[in-house]
Amino acid sequence: MTAPHSTGLTIMTRVERPPAHAGQGLLSSVGASWMRAPYPALVVDAHGGVVEVNARAAGLFPRAAAGVPLADVAPDWLVQAHGRASEGAGEPAAGPGGSARGRHAQWSLEAHPTRGVDGQIVWWLVDDTDRALAEAALKSEQERTAFLADASSRLLASLNSQRCMEVAVELAAEFLADAAVLVAPASGRRHPLATCVDGEVEHLLARIDPSAVPGLAEALQGFPPVPSRWIDPASLPDWAVPGGFGGPVGSVVVTPLPGHGVPAGALILLRRSDHAAFDTSEEVFARVFAARAGAALSAARLYMEQSGITATLMAELLPPMLQRVHGVEFAGAYRASQDSERVGGDFYDVHPGTGPGEKTLAVLGDVCGKGLEAAVLTGKIRSTLQALLPLAGDHLQLLRMLNGALLNSRHTRFATLVLASVLRREGTTRLSLTSAGHPLPLIVRHDGTVEEAATSGTLIGALPDVRATSAEVDLRPGESCLLFTDGVTEARGGPLGDVMFGDRRLRAALAECAGMPAEAVVERVHMLVAEWIGDNRHDDIAVMAITAPRTTHLTAVDGHTPGRYTT
Amino acid sequence: MNTSPDHIFDLATSLDAEGGARISITGDLDWDTAEELTAAARLCLGAEPPPRRLHLDCARMTLCDSLGLASLLMIHRAASGSATRLHLENRPTALQRLLEMTGTADLFTDRADESGQGGATRPPLPPRQP
Repeated sequence: MTAPHSTGLTIMTRVERPPAHAGQGLLSSVGASWMRAPYPALVVDAHGGVVEVNARAAGLFPRAAAGVPLADVAPDWLVQAHGRASEGAGEPAAGPGGSARGRHAQWSLEAHPTRGVDGQIVWWLVDDTDRALAEAALKSEQERTAFLADASSRLLASLNSQRCMEVAVELAAEFLADAAVLVAPASGRRHPLATCVDGEVEHLLARIDPSAVPGLAEALQGFPPVPSRWIDPASLPDWAVPGGFGGPVGSVVVTPLPGHGVPAGALILLRRSDHAAFDTSEEVFARVFAARAGAALSAARLYMEQSGITATLMAELLPPMLQRVHGVEFAGAYRASQDSERVGGDFYDVHPGTGPGEKTLAVLGDVCGKGLEAAVLTGKIRSTLQALLPLAGDHLQLLRMLNGALLNSRHTRFATLVLASVLRREGTTRLSLTSAGHPLPLIVRHDGTVEEAATSGTLIGALPDVRATSAEVDLRPGESCLLFTDGVTEARGGPLGDVMFGDRRLRAALAECAGMPAEAVVERVHMLVAEWIGDNRHDDIAVMAITAPRTTHLTAVDGHTPGRYTT
Repeated sequence: MNTSPDHIFDLATSLDAEGGARISITGDLDWDTAEELTAAARLCLGAEPPPRRLHLDCARMTLCDSLGLASLLMIHRAASGSATRLHLENRPTALQRLLEMTGTADLFTDRADESGQGGATRPPLPPRQP
């Protein structure tokens, strides 16, 4: 037994020459262990000829046998590695740098050389196919995770559903396919479509037949996708292939976009025929992406629907522009709470009398609560009042009918309001004021005195009956009556932001408004309250001024009214 | 806990020996909390037999907004339905002012001593008109 401590070298020295039948020349014990070694190994001489192949290696390279050139049986990367290793044959020992790695058939192999005599090299091969697969899977998983994170943040960046569709097809065409077509649920008879190919996004609204694409009609109803291999790319209708696609479609995936409870549409992914077809894991991943896109799309669609409803309601509920009616000035201002629900519970209206001799009815009120429920109640009150205008002369009767219309067994949401019937006759403006559970109107006299109208009554909409007493107030030219909601007096602000604006400040502000036109009174009160609030949160604020205008000739000339300096 | 005391809302319900129920309200009675009070009161009033009296103790109520008042009105409606006498006790000034302004103060004013005026559940002011 020669050099039993170095079996590999022993083998090589034994097999170096002649090449044929070298294996049979092995010592039985060593030869057996070499042949049975759990890793493939082969011995190659300096000229690139195979010298010896063990059992495992023979499995890898079936045609490899002694005397066959390595280049005929092994992949190029191994042949080149052998060339490099042979060039350094003069060096005393093989360094670790001689290792090589590459694919052979379905395997991924690492090859480590050890050097023998006469330039022979033993290549020890390690099958790392599984590791390579795991690494590739990990890398692709990491890429997918990164993509999904990026996709989510981009998809959720906009609550505009068009923009959201754009982002979804852009992402899909960039990462998952060569082109993407997003089919949104039909609006009317047409489907909004968004397509993307090579980064070019297009929107269109088209009458399409979803059943023309296999699986699309089902996907639009939220059913799981049909496997990609069932879809014949040649059968796609023209609209399903974006204009700039170019070349035949190789494979297709149709996947539903699941929304919140209802499908948000479907996504068609297309690959060109020169690309690999979608495999199962890609189809699964497309569904994962579609789930995110669907959630974002349906959020955007819900938001747009809701903001559409809010806008419609707002347009209906926004207080009207006020102006002079039959010789009396009306001015109003409204500041909605900046809370998320944009529709507030404060409202005002002026219903002009049918002629100069008829009373004009002004209403200012506050509905309990906020948001949509308050908006609905506000709308109901305003339209009921409109219908009850013929009764405007009798406030109590009007309030009773309104109360009856609003009473509801399920809740006690109520409203408080002030009614003001206004009639100008011979320079005097007569107001009939009725508070239904509302902060009392304030009267600003021409000398700056501020009075409270002596009216009282119960709130509307929660109790079986209402009671109210009205106050008759005469305004002389330059005098005003201010109707307001508690948003004014309860506005919190001041140096520390926690003090209410309060009655006293409101009265002080009004005292300075004597003789001002209605517009200016409202402007002044509004401005002072806004300053008081600063950046603090606040409730809805509504203010209305009813002012007997100063005539161009001074009040004293008029004869009926006391002159300004006579009191 | 860094919640300041006035942001804590709490309801404490107790029963007394004479068949009365008491709910002590602590904190703001508003948009967020009104439903809770209504539910607690309904629970009391739903007992079999219903309590003869329901006391709502407002001593530690810090605020009552319009929804808070709506809740009180709902409790009043429910209490009338089950013949329970409702007592709104220890009203803070702001609550009393709100009740007066909205014409609802009398609904919650105990008239147990005025038993002579049986059935006079409506506030006397302002006088009803024909």
